[in-house]
Amino acid sequence: MAFLFSMVVLMVGVFAPNSKGLVAGLAVLGAISTFVTAAVLLAAGFEGEFLGNAYVVDAFALYFKLIVAFSALFAILAAIRWSGRTGDAPEYLMLILAVAVGAMMLVSMRDLFGLFVAIELATIPSYALVAFDRRRRESSEGGMKYLLTGVMASSILLYGIVLIYGASGSANLADVGQAFSGSLSPVALLGLVLLISGFAFKLSAAPFHFWTPDAYQGAPTSAAAFLSVAPKAATFAILLRVLLEGMPDAAPTWTSVMAFLAVLTMFVGNLLALRQRNVRRMLAYSSIAHSGYILGAFAALRGAGLDTAVQAVLIYMAAYTIMNLGAFFVIDLVGEDGKSFNGLFRSRPGVAACMAVFMAALVGIPPFSGFFGKAWVIFAGVQAASAATYIVVGALVINSVLSVPYYFGIIRNMFFEDPVTGAEEPKGTGIVLFCVYALAIATTVFGLFIGPLSALAERSGLL
Amino acid sequence: MITTITIFFPLVAAVVMLAFPRTADARTVRYTALGLAAVPFLLTLYIYFRHRGDLGAPSLTQDVNWIEALGIGYRVGLDGLGFGMFFLSALLTLIAVVASWDVRENLKQYFGILFIAEVGMLGVFAAQDLILFYVFFEITLIPMYLLVGVWGDENRRPAAVKFFIYTFLGSTVMLAGFLALGILSGPNFSIDALNGGGLPRGAQVAIAAPILFGLLVKTPAVPLHSWLLDVYVSSPTSTNVVLSGILPKLGTYGLLKVALPLLPQGVEPYLPIIAALGVVNIIYGSFVAFMQPDLKALVAYSSIGTLGFILLGVASGNAVGLNGAVMQQVTHGLYSALLFILVGVIASRAGTRNIRELGGMAARMPWAGGLLALGALAAMGMPGLAVFVSEFMSIMGGFVAYPIAGALAALGIILSVMYLSYMLRRTIFGPAPERPALAAATDAGPVEMSAVVPLAFLLVLLGIFPGLLISVQRPAVELLLAAIGGS
Repeated sequence: MAFLFSMVVLMVGVFAPNSKGLVAGLAVLGAISTFVTAAVLLAAGFEGEFLGNAYVVDAFALYFKLIVAFSALFAILAAIRWSGRTGDAPEYLMLILAVAVGAMMLVSMRDLFGLFVAIELATIPSYALVAFDRRRRESSEGGMKYLLTGVMASSILLYGIVLIYGASGSANLADVGQAFSGSLSPVALLGLVLLISGFAFKLSAAPFHFWTPDAYQGAPTSAAAFLSVAPKAATFAILLRVLLEGMPDAAPTWTSVMAFLAVLTMFVGNLLALRQRNVRRMLAYSSIAHSGYILGAFAALRGAGLDTAVQAVLIYMAAYTIMNLGAFFVIDLVGEDGKSFNGLFRSRPGVAACMAVFMAALVGIPPFSGFFGKAWVIFAGVQAASAATYIVVGALVINSVLSVPYYFGIIRNMFFEDPVTGAEEPKGTGIVLFCVYALAIATTVFGLFIGPLSALAERSGLL
Repeated sequence: MITTITIFFPLVAAVVMLAFPRTADARTVRYTALGLAAVPFLLTLYIYFRHRGDLGAPSLTQDVNWIEALGIGYRVGLDGLGFGMFFLSALLTLIAVVASWDVRENLKQYFGILFIAEVGMLGVFAAQDLILFYVFFEITLIPMYLLVGVWGDENRRPAAVKFFIYTFLGSTVMLAGFLALGILSGPNFSIDALNGGGLPRGAQVAIAAPILFGLLVKTPAVPLHSWLLDVYVSSPTSTNVVLSGILPKLGTYGLLKVALPLLPQGVEPYLPIIAALGVVNIIYGSFVAFMQPDLKALVAYSSIGTLGFILLGVASGNAVGLNGAVMQQVTHGLYSALLFILVGVIASRAGTRNIRELGGMAARMPWAGGLLALGALAAMGMPGLAVFVSEFMSIMGGFVAYPIAGALAALGIILSVMYLSYMLRRTIFGPAPERPALAAATDAGPVEMSAVVPLAFLLVLLGIFPGLLISVQRPAVELLLAAIGGS
């Protein structure tokens, strides 16, 4: 619980002083200390249960807490300048930290109602984050759309939880497992479907993805970057926990649902991304597509593929966090219109090279991080060896190729086109630039550390 | 360890190039690049003279666990199948640096990206692990895309995009095949351990299809070749050297190193198709080359055509044919690089690549013209030059296995004689059209000559002493034959 504690201390600290520098320093410090605490606990092999088995700290939870703290750290670093300008720095940074706290609590929940509370704790501040940029109309529009769909998703999720609770008589995942063994009662089945639909909203999986592009376009860039990774990572984690701990015997049912969602989400995300001229919207659709790839691993959570599929989710999420944060930060540096990337190779070769790395990683070209995520999903799919997973693997291959034109459209603009004359001056340097370079290096050398990472992922498995 | 150093030295070289100050003058940049490119080449020479008899020596191999749970490792080592191309990758990168006279802007980035591509090329020919093979295979992709797309001619953008999408599609499909192969057999991705193929026949046949598709797109075998022409024609000369000399061999080497030995029964039903594709390449390439008004396009199609001999040799499944295929990979690289450089030289002097507007170049450019003739003779399969040996062996092997295909391939040689002698007659011999640029043309300068003479020298040397190369590759070919159960 130490990381939670540090978060609480931090939030108090954020409210008290008025100096911007101190607030920023505290926020960074908080994120770093959380990261370090989680890392130490993970290294020490700490495991513990709190609140009567409802809140668990195991390697799996710690792994995702690491991801959340990592992305919070980078989001805060990138936000310092921007939020300093608007004059609302404490509130903005506090919101980011609040989402992080919610996401970190979420990954530890073993109780369906606790899960709901944590998910709301992570979601409600994120509505405010999206709508934070008061000077832009899209920001409030995106925030509003996000709020409406988000509330609807929450109620569907809650409805599903209640139905499962009704069917099993307990909200604890271990007891829920009892109700989901043998043949499923209609109530339980409906509960399962509603639960998955609610999660699908949060994960922006098709056909529940409509809020994503508007929310990401409206949000300040650092918030969009953060929201596209941290809450998503936590939601994937808790979905994994609910499905594996709560209803392992119903695996044939939900893996087929997941396979269907995965294939649909991949195609929807990629086909819509192809039509975007705005880089930020393009990345929003790309994040939908990546949700689809990760859901593909969920489809392989059965039989011989089980181990590898859990690893695939963990590795994919780490890889995705690094490359996607980087890509969003480059937008912060360059601009969100596709044309503003023109000729970047000549004006700012370093940034252009970093963006090329992120785009190649998002396509899944080795040796960059995204390749390993996709490779693990394919591993899991082949090991599970069911018709559904073969279809998922096929769809993943096709979609990787489908995604080339839009990711490489950016590279094309940066390297092959001439700079637009009268383009706006480069904005935001210093810290953001540092973040971009750091993330680009991490994306590139990801493969060197894939061995230890996969061992870690294996150890933190839920099995 | 030496192998690893050779593979990754170009990465260091790339960092050095990119870290050069913006103000450095072009001369310094070129000479530094030259020096850096020479290092891997000298290392491969050292390996040849020191270890040609025992390429499996421990000092050349390395086996480190990478992802233990899945049996993936950093496994590199050299064998006779790959050594020729390993050497050629280092040589042609060096020559590409020399031949970079038509690259005038962003020089240091050009060399940096070229060196990154070299890492991939060297790595592919030394990789002994499927995943590592794929990683190196793909490392070449983005650099080549950028080299063509940034430094090519006015048609470069669509050409680069087409190149990328086609070959990425191919390699992604191939990856799916690799993963299926590795996982179903263990999981284990070591090429050594998988040698001989342990899977049931049905699984092998199913897995072979995506792998062959990916490799044949890369080669390219003819119905899958439409990305190639635009890229070749649009590239700067020095990119052409690598693009035609090395990249197609990533595909054919994959056939020899992965598809044949790891899936012997799976590839079997496809071998007649590969042989047929080889013949189609030879004949189609020759006919289309005949019709090209553009000298560079003619060389490009000629290059596609002679790749067919490699496919035929691969499909033959006998010692002669396989030896021919392995050697043809190297000789093809030598002669096509030679021709592309000379086309670049002639085009820069004459101001055009249109064959109709050229003529009488031999009088004004005796050295360039003479070497162009040598390259063309090599491409025709003239005895005494290296290509003859490898083409002849490929045809022999192909003839034993598929008499009709072998006979048609021999016919292809006649076709190549026709279009190449036509090309020679129109460009270097014959009357010169009245064009001021032609009248003022000077012969190739010392820099240009130093790019082509080593290639010409090797073509002659390997033509007279093919044993220099065949002795290195023979043990590996015998192992390959044992794996596929041929003779």
